[in-house]
Amino acid sequence: MESGRQRFARGFAAMVPLWVGVVPFGLAYAVTARGAGLSVVETQALSVLVFAGSAQVSAVGLFGRGAAGLEIVLTTFLLNVRHVLYGLSLGRTVPLDRRRRPVAAYFLTDEAFGVVAAGRESSFGFLLGAELSLFVTWNLATLAGALLGGAIPDPERIGVDVVFPLAFLALLVPLLRTRPELAVAVTAGISAWLTARWLPGGIPVLAAGVGGSLLGAWLTRHSPPDTELHLDDAAREVA
Amino acid sequence: MTFWLTVAGMVAVTFGSRFAGLSLSAPLPPFWLRFLHFVPIAVFAALVTPSLAGERGEGEIRIAAAALAALAAWRWKNLGLAIGVGLAAFWLLRIPFS
Repeated sequence: MESGRQRFARGFAAMVPLWVGVVPFGLAYAVTARGAGLSVVETQALSVLVFAGSAQVSAVGLFGRGAAGLEIVLTTFLLNVRHVLYGLSLGRTVPLDRRRRPVAAYFLTDEAFGVVAAGRESSFGFLLGAELSLFVTWNLATLAGALLGGAIPDPERIGVDVVFPLAFLALLVPLLRTRPELAVAVTAGISAWLTARWLPGGIPVLAAGVGGSLLGAWLTRHSPPDTELHLDDAAREVA
Repeated sequence: MTFWLTVAGMVAVTFGSRFAGLSLSAPLPPFWLRFLHFVPIAVFAALVTPSLAGERGEGEIRIAAAALAALAAWRWKNLGLAIGVGLAAFWLLRIPFS
């Protein structure tokens, strides 16, 4: 019988390849925050309490410009509302009781959703391991950046920001086995790319996520849903 | 003080979004079960395309590196390996252009 600790460790380890992108991003966030006039404590507090990279970077930019609190909260909402979709998807596959649900929700990120939804494991231990792997790394990088300040290279200059699209592409490719799946990925990818020029960060993901999934559900309307889902899961176990 | 009030608001909307989806546990009709099957696929694709090209005029080499990473992901189904292939390709391709 496998212990929760082993599942946690596997989830934690599953995120290690992403650290190479998370660390420079966390450093850059902290340097930006300090530059915008936040104290070390305030910089760290956002990483501990909000724990949402792109929303934190946008918020400190707005703080720096002296924006109203309401504007910052609304921007945060627009950037993070996509998590509703992640919760809906994870809630189906990961068994969560009343006590575990808020914990799983607090530490949820794109990346943790990614490794769980892409498949090998759907236990609470694995999910929490993946979530905390990112939380710890993000907060240590924030602390280092807040203390070291300007001595840190720009992550875009060394190019490590490319890790995030690479990671989601690597998670996506093995999921594409049928024609509807491919059609959904292409449609969602193109529409997010087109709308990202006009809309703030999280909205294209939410819109393409909902739109693409509706398309997929419609395209597969004649296939028996239940058996198909189970076959998928079985195929994933083997892979 | 305004700072901490704003942070409280940010926590509320962020945690609220993360918690809302997880809390919906009512049984769903088949259409929405199929919908949820496609969520990771649509979301991953939407997370890739807007940030793939980057903002430093390195779009071509980033897309070439991503194509190699996709090939590695398809062949080996291993996240770390695919990222490693993509990053190595990106940094190697960067040399002649920098």
